[in-house]
Amino acid sequence: MTFVRDDLRPLRRRAAMLAAVFALAFAAILFRLFSLQVIEAPRWRALAENNRLRRLPLEAPRGRVTDRNGDVVMDNRPAFQLLLFPEEMRDPERTIQFLVGIGLADETEVRGRINRARRTSHLPSVIADNLSWAQMAAVAAHRADFQELSVHPASRRSIPAGSTVAHLVGQLGEATPAELAADERLRPGQLVGRSGIEKAYQHVLGGVPGNLVVVVDALGRQVSTLDEEPPEPGHPLALTLDLELQRRAASAMSGLVGSVVALDPRTGEVRVLLSQPAFDPDLFAGHLEPERWRSLLADPAKPLSNRALQALYPPGSTIKPIFAAGALADGLRTPAQSVTCTGQTSFYGHPYRCWLAGGHGHVALERAIEVSCDSYFYRLAYDAGLERLARWAAAFGLGAPTGIELAGEAGGLVPSDEWSRRVRGQKWYAGETISVGIGQGPILVTPMQLAVAYSALVNGGFLVTPHLVPGTGRPPRPIGLDPAALLTVRAGLVRVVAGSEGTARRLAALPVPVAGKTGTSQVIRKREGVRWQELPWEQRHHALFVGYAPPEAPTLVVVVVVEHGGDAAAVAAPVAGQVLAKAFGHDVEITTPLLLFARPDAEPVPPTAAPAAPEVSRETL
Amino acid sequence: MKRFDLFLLGALVPIIVCSHLAQSSTSRALGQPAFASRQLAWLLAGVVLLILFSLADYRILVRFAPLFYAVAILVLAVLPFVAPLRAGTRSWLVLGGYTIQPSEFARVAVLLAVAALAGRHQRETLSAGTVAQLTALVAVPAVLVALQPDLGVALTFVPILAAALWLGGMPWRAWLGLLAAGLALLAAAWLWYLKPYQQERILTFLDPARAPTGAGYQQRQSRIAVGSGGLTGKGLRAGTQSQLRFLPAQRTDFIFAAWAEETGFAGAAVLVLAYATVVLRLFVIAIAGRDREGVLLAGGIGVVLGTQSLINMAMVLGLAPTTGITLPLLSYGGSSVLATCICLGLAQSVWRLRFANV
Repeated sequence: MTFVRDDLRPLRRRAAMLAAVFALAFAAILFRLFSLQVIEAPRWRALAENNRLRRLPLEAPRGRVTDRNGDVVMDNRPAFQLLLFPEEMRDPERTIQFLVGIGLADETEVRGRINRARRTSHLPSVIADNLSWAQMAAVAAHRADFQELSVHPASRRSIPAGSTVAHLVGQLGEATPAELAADERLRPGQLVGRSGIEKAYQHVLGGVPGNLVVVVDALGRQVSTLDEEPPEPGHPLALTLDLELQRRAASAMSGLVGSVVALDPRTGEVRVLLSQPAFDPDLFAGHLEPERWRSLLADPAKPLSNRALQALYPPGSTIKPIFAAGALADGLRTPAQSVTCTGQTSFYGHPYRCWLAGGHGHVALERAIEVSCDSYFYRLAYDAGLERLARWAAAFGLGAPTGIELAGEAGGLVPSDEWSRRVRGQKWYAGETISVGIGQGPILVTPMQLAVAYSALVNGGFLVTPHLVPGTGRPPRPIGLDPAALLTVRAGLVRVVAGSEGTARRLAALPVPVAGKTGTSQVIRKREGVRWQELPWEQRHHALFVGYAPPEAPTLVVVVVVEHGGDAAAVAAPVAGQVLAKAFGHDVEITTPLLLFARPDAEPVPPTAAPAAPEVSRETL
Repeated sequence: MKRFDLFLLGALVPIIVCSHLAQSSTSRALGQPAFASRQLAWLLAGVVLLILFSLADYRILVRFAPLFYAVAILVLAVLPFVAPLRAGTRSWLVLGGYTIQPSEFARVAVLLAVAALAGRHQRETLSAGTVAQLTALVAVPAVLVALQPDLGVALTFVPILAAALWLGGMPWRAWLGLLAAGLALLAAAWLWYLKPYQQERILTFLDPARAPTGAGYQQRQSRIAVGSGGLTGKGLRAGTQSQLRFLPAQRTDFIFAAWAEETGFAGAAVLVLAYATVVLRLFVIAIAGRDREGVLLAGGIGVVLGTQSLINMAMVLGLAPTTGITLPLLSYGGSSVLATCICLGLAQSVWRLRFANV
């Protein structure tokens, strides 16, 4: 083998090729760098911001609610809520056990809340909103172990008046997807009014939540606060309510089941709206313990229902002035025209009894109201016929929602033949019209409707819309009845209290002059010779009283319904009397013994036998 | 000074400056300011080594290559028995308070040994025997490093072999055979060597949606860092991804991402161009080399540093899976800095002695 000078040319050629390949590769890197940093920069910048910025929702304090005198109905108090950042949670099971361990709730409940929170991914969720000091301390002590948990100050509704205003204030609940879609200012998890004033005035009370933007590091630790968009607190709201009167009504109704409604008849401003029994509204200020909720639901006295707006009762004798006004206005009766009451009258071959077995003798309109003579109104109903009775009732707003801003109002029932055929599948029996004449049978109203009807009766014939915030509600509309007729009826209503035979004459002892009408709403047909005190509670009739004052120029109408109260004059009228006295500056105490041993009177007796009229109780309607 | 390649030395200046600035920034983010000054000390020591090796005669070092190689193999062989377990590997030798990563220096020895072996073969293409010897020469230390286990560094041995075979010359049939062998090796490595997390990394790279919070997390955070840097960057020590520690391994594997975030395309492009200049100048030196050994040595160094830089950048930019390959000089690590500087010094020596009459 001969020695040849080493030829490096192939090596150099290959080295040059390598140089070219590497140059191309570096060019590719440069191009990629350009596309990431210049072309796609906005996208990556957004992702980087997402990484480091965390938005903490700042709750907007809800507006304060006061009554017409500035007394606080609803306010806020500081509370501490537990937030969960689902992304930070390493072991959900461990977190669940910890939260159960500090007594937050039982395991299924905690598991449910955690699982709901995990579905919302990157947003923090409120796991509990009313931590006790011990729970806060436990979370703080385990901060290093459970980075996903964080205690945040928040506010919670405080309701100083408590159960007194339970049905009025309403509850809060998390905004539903539909509500979120309808109002862009709402955010997931925000509490909004679910019922009562909270719901009706959500747009006033709600406010706009804010944000706290904080910078966090890769471990989720808060490094600094970047930006704060403070929440816009809800606006305060002054109600037409008179809290002092509401409290008085509540104490007068204590132990009773029923409701009290008081309106300013001139405007429809609601002064009292009470339903008994009530509940502690604070139970609903946060997460409700399922057991409490179940016991409230199962309570046979139905504390959750707002009887003032939702319960339906036959109006009983309280309907009589309405029909009297209608009959006068339509010329069916004159004030002087009289009927002879012998204690029993026959229609269509059946006897209809007056509540006073011996009869009232000659009875004209004003006295018929004073003594609540059934015979007079049987005859009136007979002469008027169902259509006219229904027209008069409807003119006074009965049988239809009053339009108050609170949701869930019941409509009631003013019957007609068409209704009977459609709903009951049978024709209207003429005998039923006679019963409707004294407010029994298939005619149903809410306490609020009764208050609106009496407001029209005493304000010169204007139908008002009850409302809780001054200036709201439709303007009063004339009901189209002769004002003179209304004055005649009012004279009768004055005699109910002031007259020597008045069914509520015990209220004449009040320090303020009042007028009104008693009523008894039948639960079962009355049995002969049985006093109401001897009946089981649930079979006793409902006791009603509608009162107003001052009689000549009324500024307050009060409706009282005591379920199974038995005797209107002895049970319902004293409650109304106490509220009316209070409204005009007098604290009158009518004690329980007086209620219990009061002489029963003014109990209208329904027809003893009315085979043509099938029995109708409010339960079947 | 004409004997030095001023392009290469000039390109090192921005790299050293960038390295120090980037290390200062990430050291602050990680709350360990001492690391930045340590890296700077190594870089300066590296420059001294670079000059020393430039002044040496690479031909003498190539002649002693078998000795260096033998020492390197010996150290790598005993390393598993003397090295403490750190981060799951036995890669570091602890000597009087200093930790040394022998695999980085072993690479220099392998580069010299490969140049010596391939340089002896004075034909247009390499013989089958030489190919086999070269393969064994590289495979032995590579396997030893892989067993530490340090896959990232082990992979950096592969380009040494590839460079020698390419520069030495091989018929295309041989390339095919080698490619097949390489693929078989990869398959075997996948089955028996790679840990599940390493397999996961590769699968994640192939399908990024696979694990957005696991193995894909690092690459995603890296791309967010780079992309959010924009044209001019967020400012030194103001990168949110690095300063808030969303960026993983920001002192080592992902230092380029931290730099790109804080200085933007402007700063990152300067660095890429500086690396490109260094690598391309290494090939220019190779082409200018006076003998086979010189061409093979400088070319080999060019391929090693070039592939290492490119793979690291590609990983940071989401173009390659995360392999644990660092960016020479920029990533934190004394052994790597010093070994890289020795290589650059050797290349300078090739350049200095490029004329046959010196």
